[in-house]
Amino acid sequence: MSIRLTRRGFLGGSAAVIGGSTLAAPYIAQAQNADEIRALLITGGPLYPKYWEKVVADFTAKTGIKVKYDLLEFTPLTTKIVTLGAARSPLYDVFSTHTAQIDSFFNYFGPLNEYFTADELKDFYQVGVDYLVDPKTKNLAAIPRNMDARTQYYRSDVYAEHGLKAAVTWEDLVAVSQKLTGNGYYGLVVPGQGDPAQRTFSDYLWQAGGDWVDDQGKPAFNAAPGIEALTFYRDLIQKWKVVPPDAVSYQWNENSTQFSSGAVMDTFDWPGAFATLANPETSKVVGKWSTAPYVRNKTAISCAISHAMALNSMSKRKPPAVEFIKYTVSPEAQLLNFNEYSNFPSRLSVAKQVVSEATGAKAEWLAQLEQTIATGKEWPKLPGFSRVCTLMFSTIERALSNQQTPEEALNQAAAEALQIMTQAGAYN
Amino acid sequence: MTTAARPAGRQRRGSSLAPSWQKGYLLASPALIAMIAILIYPLGYSFVMSFYRWDLASPSQYFVGLSNYRDTFNSLGFQQTLRVQLIFSFVTIAIEVVAGIGVAVLVNSKLRGLKLARTLLLVPPMIAPAVVGLNFRWLFNGQYGLVNAILRYLGLPEAPWLSDPNWALASVMIADIWQNTPLLVLLFLAGLQSLPQEPIEAAQVDGASPWGIFWHITLPLLRPVIMIVLMLRIIDTFRTFDVIWLMTQGGPGGATNLVTVNAYLLAFQSASFGHASAVSYIALFLSLIFLALLYGVPWMRRRLRRTS
Repeated sequence: MSIRLTRRGFLGGSAAVIGGSTLAAPYIAQAQNADEIRALLITGGPLYPKYWEKVVADFTAKTGIKVKYDLLEFTPLTTKIVTLGAARSPLYDVFSTHTAQIDSFFNYFGPLNEYFTADELKDFYQVGVDYLVDPKTKNLAAIPRNMDARTQYYRSDVYAEHGLKAAVTWEDLVAVSQKLTGNGYYGLVVPGQGDPAQRTFSDYLWQAGGDWVDDQGKPAFNAAPGIEALTFYRDLIQKWKVVPPDAVSYQWNENSTQFSSGAVMDTFDWPGAFATLANPETSKVVGKWSTAPYVRNKTAISCAISHAMALNSMSKRKPPAVEFIKYTVSPEAQLLNFNEYSNFPSRLSVAKQVVSEATGAKAEWLAQLEQTIATGKEWPKLPGFSRVCTLMFSTIERALSNQQTPEEALNQAAAEALQIMTQAGAYN
Repeated sequence: MTTAARPAGRQRRGSSLAPSWQKGYLLASPALIAMIAILIYPLGYSFVMSFYRWDLASPSQYFVGLSNYRDTFNSLGFQQTLRVQLIFSFVTIAIEVVAGIGVAVLVNSKLRGLKLARTLLLVPPMIAPAVVGLNFRWLFNGQYGLVNAILRYLGLPEAPWLSDPNWALASVMIADIWQNTPLLVLLFLAGLQSLPQEPIEAAQVDGASPWGIFWHITLPLLRPVIMIVLMLRIIDTFRTFDVIWLMTQGGPGGATNLVTVNAYLLAFQSASFGHASAVSYIALFLSLIFLALLYGVPWMRRRLRRTS
């Protein structure tokens, strides 16, 4: 039998194959057992995969629900969720997420309000929950898994040798760092690129008494406190030179590595650093460091944010997915996360327990963390602010690398930010 | 029978195809389907997106006409990006072409050890851009990098390779030149080896100097190859991403922010796909303008010469 193929038939057939594949792809991707969910989870460092392995195994043993998961580090994870969100993909049921980028995903993550009672939510740090709520719809876009706040990590051995104490104020920080800078060593390290640069500027902005937006939600970061904050930040690198000059290209990993390798004497890092710095496999300064509260200026405010878990609004398996989310934020999972990896619990009850059980340096560090969280803040989650964040990355970098004065850079960014937020409907 | 007897080429609409054509279409169809699915469709889709407010954070997408293009041109960040892109493209292409021709002429001569040199020239283009980016990031690391270590050893001042805006742009250009010049050398070498020898030999007999032969005979004969190389490199520099992203992520402060990096940041950090698509299409239009100039100016000149 001969087949008559015409050009029209060929092109029509090709179009049908493409169309059919496009329509079928999401269903093929979802074709899995009803008692199996898929999760895209965060990793970072050598310890995280073991944590998820244990959490998932325990969850499956308890519920019979299988979890197929993929692990990605923070930045690629966010990028992947952005891509999946743009495609409204139902591929994953559960996502790891974070306060910092949550506003980009308000329309992709399913509301968790209906799955957590008001009483249950009362057990979570209020600041952790507040910034995961969409200010427009009041939907809870994610639930905090562990709190992210920073404390000061300093080389206690070197400080003792020089008769120095951990810095309390901005002035102290400069003075102490200047004394310890020299012979290839630096007194301090701060990150200076991308999101970490914005995070650092944000802390200094609050400490200088300023804020990102005013009462009307209009950009206010270019007011006097903002200029003071960015000038201080730039001067650490360019004027006082107490920070490695390459800091303008550092993100969190480079920042942490500078301290854990022994090249710098002081840094501000996340709770996970407490475990990493104590581990000989990941630190050259084991037993040579201590912690202190974050430095202060007019205020002692710095960020209090959280790693969180979210539900895909497109998920076809919401009940088992929510069950998994609930397990990952359960006291059991949070205790494991703290005991093994020093990630601070997002539940008040668990935090109270770990604080009461801690002794010595660990107890001091936990008290410092609690103090930071108690006064901590986050940048606003207004429409368009996620685009403002990208704008701020280059704004801060331009000032840090002396391409513009802090005032010029911030004024320029504020004008553009107002336009972006107006366009995004922040003031409707 | 009649269809089979028809000359290959034109077929009447709706009529069945000759068996040889049928086989051809069938064999080509997997590639064609893949091309349409992963190239043509996304290309068209992103063009449509560039006219929409397509933010992941917004509940819906809506048509905004040329607004994304207007925002992009008004953005000071994009103006800086455009400046950086033009400097990057112009400087890297100029150096690569001049160095490429120079090295090709050298490699084309009959010196000892040139076979080895030709083989080594294949190495940089074979390395993945991501690997090149990572290697250069380490080479140019301010504290632990090899380049500054050598400068220190020689008693010379160290350079802020990746932390100073001007040095950072120079660093990424060095990485690009290192990777791409050898490929250009090979292309120019192929061009040189295919040139007719008679005009060169005639000039030698007439006593022309080597420089005169190169300038007045070799270079004009090599012009078609140079045009192809320029075209490829213009397209390439407007697509450069991996090396820049791995070395500087477009920083510090946008000093190495090429259009591709700008589009990536808009799409994957701001989740603003409409603006990212607009930036991508501006990059495409710009490279098309340069290509039009590259081919259009000589064509216009020839036409004017003919009419005069």
